[in-house]
Order: sequence, then structure tokens, then C-alpha cells
Amino acid sequence: MLYPDDRMYSKSHEWVKTEGETAVIGISDYAQDALGDVVFVNLPGEGDEVAMGEAFGDVESVKAVSDLISPVSGTVSAVNEELLDAPENLNKDPYGSWILKVENPTDTEELLSAADYEAFCASEG
Amino acid sequence: MSNLKRTQLYDIHVAAGADMVDFGGWEMPIQYPSGIIAEHLYTRQVCSLFDVSHMGRLLIEGPGRTGFLQHVLTSNVLALEPGLAQYCIIPNENGGAVDDAYLYMFREEDFLLVVNAANKEKDLLHLQALVKDYDCTITDISADWAAIAVQGPKSKEMLTVLTGGEAPTEPVKNALRSLPLEGHSAYIAKTGYTGEPLGYEVYVRSVDAAWLWNRLAELGARPAGLGARDTLRLEAGLPLYGHEMGAAPDGSEIPIFAVPLAKFAVSFSPHKGNFVGRAALERQHAAFLRHMNRDFSDASPLLRKIAPIALVDRGVMRAGMELYRDGRSVGWITSGTMVPYFKTEGEGLTTVILQESGKRSIGLAYVDSDLLENDEVEVDVRGKRLKAVLPARHMSVGAPPYARPLLCGYTEETSVAASTDDDRRESILILLRQAADNHQWRQERCVNLIPSENTPSRAVRLLSASDPAFRYAEHKKILSFYDKDVFYYQGTKFIDRVEQLLVEEMKAYLGCQEVETRVISGQMSNMAVFSSLMDWKNRFDRKSEAKRLGYVMNNHIIKGGHLSAQPMGALHDYIAIDPVTEKPAVVSFPMRKDNPYRTDVEETKKLIDRYRPELLIFGKSMVLSKEPVAAIRQFVDEEHIPTTIMYDMAHVLGLVGDHFQRPFEEGAEIVTGSSHKTFFGPQRGVIGVNYRPDELKYGLWETVERRTFPGSVSNHHLGTQLGMLMAAYEMNQFKDEYQRCVIENAKFFARSLHDEGLNVAGDPAVGYTETHQVIICVGYGEGPEMAERLEENNVIVNYQATPNEEGFTASGALRMGVSEMTRFGFGKEDFAHLAHLMAECILRNRPIAEDVAHLRATHEEMRFCFDDAEIEKALAALAEKVGL
Repeated sequence: MLYPDDRMYSKSHEWVKTEGETAVIGISDYAQDALGDVVFVNLPGEGDEVAMGEAFGDVESVKAVSDLISPVSGTVSAVNEELLDAPENLNKDPYGSWILKVENPTDTEELLSAADYEAFCASEG
Repeated sequence: MSNLKRTQLYDIHVAAGADMVDFGGWEMPIQYPSGIIAEHLYTRQVCSLFDVSHMGRLLIEGPGRTGFLQHVLTSNVLALEPGLAQYCIIPNENGGAVDDAYLYMFREEDFLLVVNAANKEKDLLHLQALVKDYDCTITDISADWAAIAVQGPKSKEMLTVLTGGEAPTEPVKNALRSLPLEGHSAYIAKTGYTGEPLGYEVYVRSVDAAWLWNRLAELGARPAGLGARDTLRLEAGLPLYGHEMGAAPDGSEIPIFAVPLAKFAVSFSPHKGNFVGRAALERQHAAFLRHMNRDFSDASPLLRKIAPIALVDRGVMRAGMELYRDGRSVGWITSGTMVPYFKTEGEGLTTVILQESGKRSIGLAYVDSDLLENDEVEVDVRGKRLKAVLPARHMSVGAPPYARPLLCGYTEETSVAASTDDDRRESILILLRQAADNHQWRQERCVNLIPSENTPSRAVRLLSASDPAFRYAEHKKILSFYDKDVFYYQGTKFIDRVEQLLVEEMKAYLGCQEVETRVISGQMSNMAVFSSLMDWKNRFDRKSEAKRLGYVMNNHIIKGGHLSAQPMGALHDYIAIDPVTEKPAVVSFPMRKDNPYRTDVEETKKLIDRYRPELLIFGKSMVLSKEPVAAIRQFVDEEHIPTTIMYDMAHVLGLVGDHFQRPFEEGAEIVTGSSHKTFFGPQRGVIGVNYRPDELKYGLWETVERRTFPGSVSNHHLGTQLGMLMAAYEMNQFKDEYQRCVIENAKFFARSLHDEGLNVAGDPAVGYTETHQVIICVGYGEGPEMAERLEENNVIVNYQATPNEEGFTASGALRMGVSEMTRFGFGKEDFAHLAHLMAECILRNRPIAEDVAHLRATHEEMRFCFDDAEIEKALAALAEKVGL
């Protein structure tokens, strides 16, 4: 299980990487492993509003649908369209396959460092 | 999780890292680390193992078992015999399902009923309440026997390793066999829940479960969990209790006939008496039939039906989602998810399955009955309305060894169109050129080994193209004129004489009393005979519905029998349905265990004794052996079994004689045949009958004449009938030398192919073949590709399924015949050279096209023709007259 320390993590298993003024958001290795094969991603559109702590889309595996919870509030500046044709990228490369970008987020959750997130995952069992 | 039940293989699943879940009270693997998608794809491509030991296995025993099962199941239990299984439903009085199940008859004395794990307790309560009225017991043997499903294109190969080379079962769905797997007792069923054309469910003692699982894993099978089991059965369109049966998303009960499989699982046989739910099911069935006819006037017994559904827009459909059409709610998804499939390239037989996979959102839906195939609906996917369509099916199992996904939106490209005034001349020029090219290719560059083909002599061809080819000569015997044939047309004196001469030549050739020559194909000959037998059978009662023929004994198509003798072929409209089994009244000649190309005479006698068939049809289209006509004639005569012995000689009509068989001398009464295979004729048929005028059955001969004309033909193709007379002269003149050469060449060719390292079918002790045919096995499913490769190299053979293969797409052999090339003068050295070239092509993929063309170029002269100078001159004169 990978926990790269170049980014922060939420308790709902999303990661946030800051690139200048932009928050880049994806799901962690722990999340993709728990989901199993991802077969579909429901993405928001560019320009949509996302709110911290609320669902901004979902990820579908063969057996279930799981909400994606936004760690930030703001306006979606970009979505990763590749995921529409190749949702399995989230399994193959969770940290390279970003899901959406929010420029100048107005609010951000309290996020965990890689080490704290790893400990959190261990306690989730 | 510790209160959950565990199967015999629990430890193996945990050790393999499976995600375990609660499934109907059992702790079962939903997926292994490979994941559902990979497990699904591996099943379709190679072979997966599924632990199905959680399912309920109930042994039904006792003298009253058949009556009990007829009462509590929807199916006709009498359709089973030892070695067969059937899908069935346990109905309730409302015509809904308590459960769906499979009934296995591994042996005479009991039945195995396998039910869904989640319903076992409920099923047992239900069945035990009803078994009280019967002298019958139900024993739950689930703990003593484990069950492992082995599904996928390589499943048969893997199980064959464990059986020590024996086929796990007959190559037909629902076939059963009991045989040890490397010493461990096992019951093998060709059944499954994945839709794979090759797939088995294997029952072994609990103590052997782990051994079997691990052994198959050693051979390359991989474990698959319940997740993949669900995606596979969904793709196959198979119902799951709790989704497509039982309660619908709105809580109502799904009627049994809503499920497409009901039409196979439900029987209204009188032998089932007043079985549970009969009345309700009959009402549903009546509505079902109305709906099939698009009459939705009284849909109430069957308001909705289960249908496949495919999403057109992007997304995923899930169970419970509501469907809309024209603003109305029309049903719900009952099962749905994203299912993977392998992409393909090419079309038809040459379709190549790629390594690349795709995904599609498909499902099953419970929709209003008046929705038709290809109708579009909208699915409410979490608030969004997405477009979907109702295809006929998601997948087809008709091309083994692979299941073939059928993707929505496939359109066939047509490259052929009718001519227009602008391009017609051009089309004609192209046609003439291509016809010349084709003729030249086949006649000058190809070695033609298709056993049903031959080239007739120039004389036969010329005569066939001369004037009678454009004429009519219908004639019938008129009693008032002492049974003289009276012709309906003028200008027929020549052809009248020709036909009389032909009849006499054929009587001499076949060695029989009467011959009918007006039939224009082998299959028509057979149909005329079937029609005659049926007419003869009903001759005393013309006021009631005519009784059909049954039981009929034939060679099954899988064992090499011809289409003619199958219920789906010419026998279709003449074969009776056995009211007890509700299946066609056909029983097939059994083949020997040590030689699947030769009939087992002793087993045949037992079957004849049991079924008392009124017609025995000898003859095959894949044929290496003589038919045991004499032995069976003797048997039926000794046992006083009234029957008609018919020999459809088809391929071997040209071999009647000392080198093969004399059918009438051996005791056949009727012989039919194709005039254009080993016989020298143009393409026609013939019927030979051996009843004397003083015999009772002579009336059957007279019926044959009437069922030929006016029964089967009006115009009986006079051109080729004229050619046929010449062919009959040729046969009668040259048959001894020709037949000797053909059979010698066949054995020599077979031996040569064997020596070149090819796998030749048949018994080496008799030189592999007793006919003109030679069969080589090139690998399961490899036949079509190999035949195509040989065609590209100017060798024309056809791919053939052997007795152990499921269907022609799985053909593992090539069927060849030596008669045409023998006629063109091929001798032993030529066949040896040909065998060498073919081995180079088949085994080493070397191009041989030019070598083959060269071999053929030196053999363009036909043997066994009349070629003296005077005849040549007469032929030339005729050719000039005919304008050829």
C-alpha cells in the first residue's frame, strides 16, 4: 500500500496535492484497493461548484457505487476526461490519475499527512 | 462472520486471499486478488473454478420419486434418462417460483436436485410438506459431496487430463457421466451458470474437494468468486432467484412465464397430472403465446417479462432502477452492472478474439410485456435519464468453444447490390471473367478433396446441357392403361426412352427391383422416402390427421450422420414427438467406444429391442466404415421386429460392389443416394427399392413413385437426367476398376498422411478407412483455419467436427475424399506426394500453392470414360450441336 508524502489525505480517502493555487484531487491506493475494479467514474463538469465534505461525484465498481467526497470548496477548473474511457486507471495509478482540479479553493478540510493517514488506515482495519 | 457456514474449500479461498462475504448464510469468496473483471475475462478465455458447494444437493429416492418430482417441478421428468440433466423450476400454487433448480439423472435409481444455497431451507420445507403423499425420500447430501464448476474453453481439455484421456461427457449440453478423476470418484455434468459452451459442474466427495481444486489450478484453471459468477451469468442472460424470479422490485411476485427460460422448463404433459401451479401456469402460458403473436389484449396473467437490456448512453445500470418510455414507467432493472468482454477483429468464421477488452453496461429488466425487441427505453440512473435498448440477447453460445458477446449497435456491411442499367454490362463482363477464372482454378490448379464432390465426364456434362435441359416431361402411371406411364407434355419421346434406359441401368448397378430416378438431389430422395413411409403408414385411414414416423433410428449428426436424417433436417416434418419424453422420436446408432467411427452392433441391437423403431436409416456424411446392414437385418428378422431398413448411401453410392458393400444383398429394402459424389453423375438423387410385385410392401414402392411425382417434383430436371444415363453407363462399365482404385487410394493416402506425422482418424488395422474418405485431426477448433490455409494453397478440403466435438465451429478435423482425384488419374505416388505437401503446409506452415498447382496440372485427363475414337467423334458432333 502506497502513501506518498508529496500530498495530503482526507479521512474519506481522497488525496489533495497543491500545484500553485490549484488543488488537485484524487483517491488513495487504500481507496482503489477497497473499491476493487473501477468500472465507471461519474465526474462533475468544469465550472460546477463543489463543497467541502460533500459528494462531488462517484466511483462505480462492479458491485457498488461509492461517493467521492470533496476535501475542498470551490469551482471545478478541470476534470480528468481520460477516466471516462479508462476508469481502471484509478486502480492502476491512483496517485497519477487525478480526478479534478479546483483553482483557488475557498475552503479546505483538515487533512492528514501521509504518515497520519497511514496510521488512520491501519486503525480502520 | 463466525456463525456463517463454510464449504469444504473455505481454507483454500482464505489462503488465496479472497474477499469473503456473507452469501445466504455462507461465508463465500466474492473475488480473489485478481478482481472480478480479470476473473470474468479469464473464464471466457481459458478456464475458471467456482466453488459451488454451498448450493443445496438433495438426493431423491424411492419408487414414487418420478411421480413426486412430476408433481413438484415444472419440468417433464420423463424427458430424462440416465446421463441427462434438465433445468427446472419449483413452482408455487400461484405460478410463481419457490426456487429454480437443476435435476440430474446420473443413474436409474435416483435423482439429484440442486437448489440455490439461499433457498435450501425454504425449498426443503416446501418439498417435505409435499413428499408425504409419495413413496419417496429427500436426503440432503450437501455435506458429503462438494461441487466445483469448471467453466471456460479449456475446461474440457483440463478435465480430459484427469479422466485419463476419456471425454468428460458427451459433447451436448446437459450430458452427464460418472467416471473417476485420477482415481477419485466423480460425477460430471455438462452444465453451468456462465453461459460458456464448454463448462462442467463436477461433484466429488468432500474429502476430495481440495485435491480437485488444486489439481485443476495446476493445469491452469484460476479461481473465480461470486462476483464474476454474477457478471458471467448476467452476460449469458441467466436468471438469478431474488432478482429475475421471486419478488420484483415493487414487491410483486414474478410469474414463472415472465422468465424466457420458462418455455423450456415448463411442461404441461399429461404425465404431470395436476402438478403444483398447473392452472396458474396454463393461464400464464396462454398469455405468453398471445404475446408471442403480439396480441396484448388480455395481458393480465403476464403483465411484464424479463428481458435483456443494454445501456446506450454512458453510465451503469443497477438493480431497482426504474425504466421509462414515452413518459410512462414501464418496469425496472432486475440485475445490472458493467461487464467486460474481449474485442474481436474480422467477421464470420474468421473472427479473431483479441487480447484487448472493453466494458459494457448491460443487465436484465422486468418490463411491460408489450415492449418489443430493439425498443428503446430510458433508465433513471440516480436522477439522470439515460437511453437504453432491449436487445434479443447479450451473448451467443452457438459457436463453440467460445462464448460470443453480441454488442448492441452492430451493423453488417453489405458489399453486394443488384445491377443497374448503367453497370449491368460491366457486371456481366466481370461475371464471365470470374466464372472462367474460377473454373480454371478448380479444374487446373486445385487438388479437390471434398468427398461429396466429383467432376463428371465431358460426355455427362455435354448431355446435361443439351436440349432436354429446357423441357418438361411429367409422367404418371395410369391404372386404366395397365400402369403405363402417360406423359403430360409433347416432345417427350426421346426423354421417355432415356428415363426407361436409366431405370434399367440403375437397377443393374444397384441390384434391386425398382428404381426412381426423378428425384433431383440426395436430400430430396430421402424426403420422398420419408413422405412415402408416412403415407404408407396412414394408408388405411385418410380421414384422420396422418400419424408421423416414430421411433426412427439414425446416425446423429455429431457422429457423422447427414442432415437428412436429423429432425432439424429432412426428417423435420415426418418425425413424431414421443408423448412421454416430449422430444422427437429419434434414437441414434451408438458408436463403439474403441472406434467412434464404427457402429456398436451389440448396443444397437439393445436399442432396437427397446425402442422398436419402424425405420432404420443407415448412412453418414462423415464415413470411414461399412454400415452393419447384414447384422442388423439378421437381428430384426430373428426377433420379428417389423421395420423398414433404409440405407442413405449418399457419399458411397459409387462404391456399391465387391470392394465396399452390396446394400440390397445385405438386406436393405430402400437405398437412396446422391448421384454426384463417388457416383459419376451430375448433381441428382436416386431411390432404389427392392420389393417384388407380389410382396405386400410393393405398395410402398408405388407410393415412392407418387411421392416423387407429384409429391416432390413437377419438373424433374431432364438435362441432368440425360447426363445421368451416360454416368450410369460409365459406372456399369468401369466400376470394378474405379472402386478398387478409390478404396486403395484412400487407404494409401491415409497411411501416407500418418507417415508424414499427421493424426489420421480411424482404425489402422483396416487401413484407417473402408470408404473414399480420409479424416485427419488437426486440433480442437483448428479445423476452419486449417481448411482456409489449405484452400489458399489450392488444396480444397472441408473442416469437420469429430464425434467428440460440440459443433462445426469447434471442428478439430479435416474431411477429405480421394474419388475426384482418382478419376483424374492420381495414383499411389501422387497421393504420397500430396500427403507430403499437405504435411508441410499443416505442420510447418510452408506455402505449397505452386507445388499443388503443378501436381494438378499433370492430371487433367479423366480416367474411367469412354474414349474410343468413334465415341469422341460423336461427342464432338453433339458439342457442336449444343453450341459448346
